[in-house]
Amino acid sequence: MRCAYISYIECNNNSAKLEHEATTSKIGEDQIFYCQQRGISEEKAISLIVNGYCKDVLNKLPMEFAVEAQKLLAISLENSVG
Amino acid sequence: MKQLLNIKNLHAEVAGKEILKGLNLTVNAGEVHAIMGPNGAGKSTLASVLSGKEGYEVTEGSADFDGKNILELEADERAKEGLFLAFQYPVEIPGVSNINFLRTALNEIREYRKQEQISAKDFMTMVREKSKLVELKDNLASRSVNEGFSGGEKKRNEIFQMAMLEPKLAILDETDSGLDIDALRIVAAGVNKLKNKDNAIIVITHYQRLLDYIVPDFVHVLADGKIVKTGDKNLALELEEKGYDWIFADQKA
Repeated sequence: MRCAYISYIECNNNSAKLEHEATTSKIGEDQIFYCQQRGISEEKAISLIVNGYCKDVLNKLPMEFAVEAQKLLAISLENSVG
Repeated sequence: MKQLLNIKNLHAEVAGKEILKGLNLTVNAGEVHAIMGPNGAGKSTLASVLSGKEGYEVTEGSADFDGKNILELEADERAKEGLFLAFQYPVEIPGVSNINFLRTALNEIREYRKQEQISAKDFMTMVREKSKLVELKDNLASRSVNEGFSGGEKKRNEIFQMAMLEPKLAILDETDSGLDIDALRIVAAGVNKLKNKDNAIIVITHYQRLLDYIVPDFVHVLADGKIVKTGDKNLALELEEKGYDWIFADQKA
């Protein structure tokens, strides 16, 4: 998965201390193997794991954002390992 | 008798270190095989190599499963062919319910076998029926895969998954580790109910105790990457009593 981002923080409080951080991490290889060992293909496994991981956040989003986010997640996640 | 697994002269290495050094093993339908052996002998490596875990390189030999060379298949394809591994350390998948996980697995397996997808109703009936086998509680459906499960629940969940997926060959990798005696009985009883003349089970264990409940037809001793001795269930009792040293002494003699 290719990912590009521009970090941008706007602050109107002169005593605030802000940092930005972006991390990407590999989805647990153990989790993928566990899914595969049950007969789930790698691509499907990644989609299951990512959706599960994001579910808590998505559930808190307003409906229109949640739908959009689900769609984005459904875009092929192939090659997102590594 | 139908041959399910045929391993010949299997050599495999992890990170350049040879762990399996010419292993031979044949498993027929209807049989239960126990694999015992000292720590570091290669028991879990064998399970990993057969199930297709990454990081294990087969350098020599062959492994046929139900007539197919499984070493050429992806891990999920091996599962779809009917190979099941009950993990020593079952993995947690937060946010993915057990039900969703198993239904996805079952339907992928069915698709591979050109069978119809299972209906929600039939699936839930199956879940209710099979979860009784290992006395899993009803709230299983809503819980994430293995998340927050106790050690015993995780192992019972492995056997529940085995019941749902109905494999031809199940490898139980130290399923008894971390189980109290009641959980051990429940897990063993579940496995025994799943055993039939068409499938086979390989039990990897350190302890004879499990084999009181899941009685093996053959007991193999795996040491230094090879099977060095094979016997019946009495061999396990002998190992419990005498340890492994006498076998190595026999070998050298």
